[in-house]
Amino acid sequence: MPPVLEVDDLHMHFFTRDGVVKAVDGVTFTLQAGETLGVVGESGSGKSVTALSIMRLVPEPPGKVVSGDIRFKGQSILAMEEKEQRALRGNRIAMIFQDPMTSLNPVYRIGKQIAEPLRVHKDMSKADAWAAAVKLLDQVGIPQAEERARHYPHEFSGGMRQRAMIAMALACGPDILIADEPTTALDVTIQAQILELMVEIQKNTDSAIIMITHDLGVVADMADHILVMYGGKPVEYGRADEVFYGPLHPYTWGLLESLPRHDVDDKGALCPIKGQPPSLITLPSGCAFHPRCAYAQSTCKSKVPPLVEIADGHLSSCHFAGDPQFVAQFTDGACYVGEDAPGGRS
Amino acid sequence: MARDIYEPSEIPSAPDGGPADIAIGDLEGFTGKGRTLRADAFRRLRKNKLAVAGLIWIIIVVLIAITADLWAPYWLGDPVEIDTTQVAEQSLQPPSLDHPFGTDKLGRDIASRVVYGARVSLMVGVLAVAIMVAIGLITGAIAAYYGGIWDGLIMRTADVFFAFPYILFAVTLIAVLGKGFQNVFIAIGVLGWPSIARVFRSSILGIKKNEYVDAARAMGASTYRILSRHIMPNSIAPIIVYATMTVGGAILGEAALSFLGMGVQPPDPSWGLMLSDARAYMFTAPWLMIYPGLAILTTVLAFVLLGDGLRDALDVKLKE
Repeated sequence: MPPVLEVDDLHMHFFTRDGVVKAVDGVTFTLQAGETLGVVGESGSGKSVTALSIMRLVPEPPGKVVSGDIRFKGQSILAMEEKEQRALRGNRIAMIFQDPMTSLNPVYRIGKQIAEPLRVHKDMSKADAWAAAVKLLDQVGIPQAEERARHYPHEFSGGMRQRAMIAMALACGPDILIADEPTTALDVTIQAQILELMVEIQKNTDSAIIMITHDLGVVADMADHILVMYGGKPVEYGRADEVFYGPLHPYTWGLLESLPRHDVDDKGALCPIKGQPPSLITLPSGCAFHPRCAYAQSTCKSKVPPLVEIADGHLSSCHFAGDPQFVAQFTDGACYVGEDAPGGRS
Repeated sequence: MARDIYEPSEIPSAPDGGPADIAIGDLEGFTGKGRTLRADAFRRLRKNKLAVAGLIWIIIVVLIAITADLWAPYWLGDPVEIDTTQVAEQSLQPPSLDHPFGTDKLGRDIASRVVYGARVSLMVGVLAVAIMVAIGLITGAIAAYYGGIWDGLIMRTADVFFAFPYILFAVTLIAVLGKGFQNVFIAIGVLGWPSIARVFRSSILGIKKNEYVDAARAMGASTYRILSRHIMPNSIAPIIVYATMTVGGAILGEAALSFLGMGVQPPDPSWGLMLSDARAYMFTAPWLMIYPGLAILTTVLAFVLLGDGLRDALDVKLKE
């Protein structure tokens, strides 16, 4: 059986007045049923556009898939008619948006909104869809679901709205659930609940999840694989434990180091990555990360590093990822911008 | 979320008899009632005294217009029947018990003509606005949703309509279509759509950016469904407000066109036509002018006040 989703060297570019924005530039990954992929990166790293490309929700123009392919169960989504794509959306591939405060329609009762995908895709009667919606609300942990279904979004709290959004995404029992920063807009305590809910759902339904986040902590417990993106390009891909415990790219290491941790007796300050994410119109030459990289050499400025397999199933796009001594620095516990590091403290 | 507090007796039940009054316990720190948005809007509207006054006056005028045949001819006299007697003793009588608003030079009862004139005015107002809204909603929606060349084409056409003086355009149009009641509301309606299209377009452009529109697309909804189920209901509030106010404008337009002799033709009663007839007697028989003038003033004002109240009532932002 083919994997539930294959993204093959996807290039999604935006043709704007100011120039070509290479929002997604050569992303490749496969997703098996029941698996969770964490897509991690800063704002503007192309992670959301990757998700929207899979949903075929990128407005075209200005967006355009320049090359590459997206296959759902072996079938190219890009080659499909709009009608076939629509039949997938919300049915086989569902999406949860970032801000639950704005992603529910204020004029409809919650139950009606959850019932909508069932009405659209499963051709259910109003009464059946409503009953199913109430059941879904109950499943995502909304108390008194029957009464709550009759409420309007403004009567729900943020966490409850995100639960309602999840219920809506789950309605048709999708094969793939794409969650675009589903917890960013929520309180920390609620965040944990929502993540727990998603893990539980996955256990019960065997859907694959693509979890997009800028917070490695969010995907730490959930993801089977991690894809780290920078400037529209994948910089590291591998099994979650490998990426966490043996990062092969300085950027990944920088992300890990900038996480607050309770389990390590820390020396004090966090180690943020210096500088800002690059503009996608004028990417730095060579390796896009080199201006911010503490280990950058002259090759990094001139040569674009390819994404290569370093260990079994663990890919990195750092020129020096193959050098064990170089990589060892990442895991020795030193601060990324520590005084000993070549970049020095600024 | 900030919510105003009110006594349970104040809560209007949902218009659809729905579950507006289900009391919910304390859930995740939230206490409140599941009310409908329409009920909320109605509650806010009721607080606006001027809007309520406008609404009541509109209801009265509508009732008068609908029931006119049942009482007006018997109590007040026929609105079109002319006093043809040689002495014409019915002509230009001041207000009296027999003729509460007086009579005009042909001996017709002014009150009766004002009552029947309400029919013409309301019909023109509602039908003209219906035409405007129908054209304006479709064109505005296309312009906003598809954008690009459609937006340019529709909005530039609207600009062309705006470029001509309204009355002049209307008179020209009626000159082409022919005089008469039907062509009055067609002309007013056809000329009014650009405003509706503009208002609706900008409203949709604002709504389109909302994440729930993306969410609807991500759910697999078709373009038609997104427009009709998700964008339309959220962007319709300004149209309701604008259309309500425009009914007043259309009534005024009919009065103006009839005044100019391009609208309703004698002997049919119309407020504008009555004003036109009254010009010659402005000082000798002022009642000829005062009563139809008052009718126009109060009715137009009522629609504007109601529209104003609706704007506040339908504005969700004020509530939060």
